[in-house]
Amino acid sequence: MQADGQMKTGRDVVIGALLGADEFGFATAPLVVEGCIMMRKCHLNTCPVGVATQDPVLRAKFSGKPEYVVNFFFFIAEEVREIMAQLGIRSFDELVGRVDLLDTKKGIEHWKARGLDFKKIFAQPSHPMSNERRQMSTQDHNLGNALDNELIAKSHSALESGEKISFIHPVRNVNRTVGAMLSGEVAKRYGHEGLADGTIHVQFNGTAGQSFAAFLAHGVTFDLVGDANDYVGKGLSGGRVIVRTPNEFKENSADNIIVGNTVLYGAIGGEAFFNGVAGERFAVRNSGAIAVVEGTGDHGAEYMTGGTIVVLGNTGRNFAAGMSGGIAYVYDVDGMFDKRCNTTMALLEKVLPSSEQEKLIPKEQWHAPLDVKDGGERMTDEVILKDLVERHFKHTGSEQAKAILRDWDTARQRFIKVFPTEYKRALGELWVKAQGNQKQVTTV
Amino acid sequence: MGKITGFMEFDRQSEHYEIPVSRVKHYKEFVAALTDEEAKTQSARCMDCGIPFCNNGCPVNNIIPDFNNLVYDKDWQQASEVLHSTNNFPEFTGRICPAPCEAACTLGINNLPVGIKSIEHAIIDRAWENSWVKPQLPTHKTGKKIAVVGSGPAGMAAAQQLARVGHDVTVFEKNDRIGGLLRYGIPDFKMEKWLIDRRVEQMQAEGVTFKTGIFVGKEQLDPAIKDYSQKRIDPDQILQDFDAVIISGGAEQPRDLPIKGRELKGVHFALEFLIPQNKEVAGDNKNQIHAAGKDVIVIGGGDTGSDCVGTSNRHGAKSVSQFELLPQPPEEENKALVWPYWPTKLRTSSSHEEGCGRDWSVATKRFEGKNGQLEKLIGVRLEWKDGKMTEVPNSEFEMKADLVFLAMGFVSPAQQILDGFGVEKDPRGNAKATTEGEQAYKTNHPKVFAAGDMRRGQSLVVWAIREGRQCARAVDEFLMGSSVLPR
Repeated sequence: MQADGQMKTGRDVVIGALLGADEFGFATAPLVVEGCIMMRKCHLNTCPVGVATQDPVLRAKFSGKPEYVVNFFFFIAEEVREIMAQLGIRSFDELVGRVDLLDTKKGIEHWKARGLDFKKIFAQPSHPMSNERRQMSTQDHNLGNALDNELIAKSHSALESGEKISFIHPVRNVNRTVGAMLSGEVAKRYGHEGLADGTIHVQFNGTAGQSFAAFLAHGVTFDLVGDANDYVGKGLSGGRVIVRTPNEFKENSADNIIVGNTVLYGAIGGEAFFNGVAGERFAVRNSGAIAVVEGTGDHGAEYMTGGTIVVLGNTGRNFAAGMSGGIAYVYDVDGMFDKRCNTTMALLEKVLPSSEQEKLIPKEQWHAPLDVKDGGERMTDEVILKDLVERHFKHTGSEQAKAILRDWDTARQRFIKVFPTEYKRALGELWVKAQGNQKQVTTV
Repeated sequence: MGKITGFMEFDRQSEHYEIPVSRVKHYKEFVAALTDEEAKTQSARCMDCGIPFCNNGCPVNNIIPDFNNLVYDKDWQQASEVLHSTNNFPEFTGRICPAPCEAACTLGINNLPVGIKSIEHAIIDRAWENSWVKPQLPTHKTGKKIAVVGSGPAGMAAAQQLARVGHDVTVFEKNDRIGGLLRYGIPDFKMEKWLIDRRVEQMQAEGVTFKTGIFVGKEQLDPAIKDYSQKRIDPDQILQDFDAVIISGGAEQPRDLPIKGRELKGVHFALEFLIPQNKEVAGDNKNQIHAAGKDVIVIGGGDTGSDCVGTSNRHGAKSVSQFELLPQPPEEENKALVWPYWPTKLRTSSSHEEGCGRDWSVATKRFEGKNGQLEKLIGVRLEWKDGKMTEVPNSEFEMKADLVFLAMGFVSPAQQILDGFGVEKDPRGNAKATTEGEQAYKTNHPKVFAAGDMRRGQSLVVWAIREGRQCARAVDEFLMGSSVLPR
């Protein structure tokens, strides 16, 4: 058990231990030891003591040393020992869980504690004192029985020689983080580059457990027929995830939640196609993945810094909060998207026909579906968007995609481009930089 | 925070001082407040800290980040409101406060602190110029009568606060003008006295009655304390006439130097020189102590000593020297050790810049003279070790002196006032009262409260204002059962 929150002294540690904690989390106090003065400007890059800033001038003012933190914890340990000695306790293990040693009166009598019931916190377990009340065994994650072991075995030839393989496997919600160990095997052999596209193709049938296709590597395609829990494609690293409805499914996919919350959390690359609606915080902290989804819950594209997402249906509220990079194209079903979008950091623009964009918008402000820094080509919004919708249809057979493509010119006009202001600025700067580099190359 | 990167872009900007050679020719203030643009730039340096140490470093807890931001936005009127919400007299502190807020400024850790005091000065000057400072009349009268004994900054602050919540306040002052040491201790060249008159007018409009020339006590004051009173009132009479009494008479008993030759003509307490000078500048009789053409030695290295230096130079003294018992402090403090507290470091006041020889680790052995007239001072060098001083053998020296001013601090309030009210004293001879809890500022006498130097001993104007404000709240609570005045 870990105790955390406002831990500053040895006394805090002892109280935590008496209440049953084996581990302790310290945050602010060691930060202050390093020179933090609680400016609360960590988000502005202006920390004047150089603790929480990337500015080289301010970082030079950082005066902390690791030794200070070491010293601080020596003081903590010393105080813990002193209090233990006062209590007549020989070892820390003997201290854990001894609620009976706490003087609770003073705290409870304080007027702020009126009306609070502490009975359960101060409860004494009924088993005898001779039983240990601290952590006695460690968790077993049962990795030996993980589904990935089978996937790795079946992918042997692909992993060893790059041979294309394809197979079908059932999946259940007890199978968590499916694909992460397989991706680890790919990365061990081929690094972040991974395998050639589509080398390993697995079709899953059923309901996948949490973190389906997490960290999926390049060259691996997971095609799930069914649905999945939270965190699909977490940290997606180049692989492709498809989640689609079974052929027997006859309802409207725009009404069907197909993947859970925080899908594509922190994805850095790869692509994902969801033939239904995602839960909340879709693509939160996405920094490079491409995704198409047919609707999202609240806080979609939150803190996104890169990549491209396409939403073919309704979003929840607070879309694009804290979004500083990448582009989201949203099909505005009811004409109310601007009310649901958080425009503090992003602009809402039209998706122009390619011919118009070429005429009206300087190329330096064009988006590139592959990261510009990785040599991604600048393309018009129409080209990017249509290509993604087409691929979504190809991979999932989405009725929604089909309808949009059937009447593309009308449908295009209902898309809204969510364009973070910071990203707009960065695109311009990167463009100028790239032009400079080109000139250099030609003169050499 | 007007500009988040302001502290990286702009430097500290000092206020403009008239040059020493011309300013020693008069007794007027010689500091020009910052212009609008300068103040805006300076306020842009404020970082609006998550933990604003300045706000805590300031004895009246001025809401500094807020008014800095308002100055950046050039909303001077709102800035003045924010400033007045914690400080009754910003025009006093904006001129003479040593600014503990700036010592606590976070920017000061690795840079020069924000010029908070100069911003305060700029705000309050604009507020008066634009007539934003108006009497704040009470919405109703309580019918309670309160006497404030002593009209220094503590008494003034207490009186103003109490009048604004509807009490009838009468301020008693032994001298002929209001202000206490603010009026007669601090020279005009640091703070011109019409500033006090202007506040007194505001307070009179708010319903405060001022009675000057009246000493409240049973026995005469110690002769070391200047007393211009015409009339004496018995404290018992005050207690009978009023529902509550605040004693805020300062700490006027000066520390003496009882050595050989102390009685010689030319050896004076600092205030024997400064008070008549302030009266002379105000248009009263001439100062009977003349420093023109004389060799002057000031004993004591604090602010009062500094004022003697500045005044002597304005008289046209031949030479001015200042001795301090303690060793010379470092020019720069060790920030890692002392921030955000007030550091001990070498402070060179504007008076020092006008010409003064300074020496540290010096004790005065005796004064010598002829026919009762001081001629020289015999001093000795000291060595300090572990906080203890010893005389350096064979280091005695003599120095020519026509005038010596003793500016070695004040030991306590005038005991005659405390004794007159029968108030219990702490071991230092101050009125005994706490600042916290239900009995805050209350003396052992059920109707008598104490505030300012009279309670805490010699201190800053800003501490006096704080005590006056807090004491007013305590009195209001005592009389009414509750109070809306700020804590």
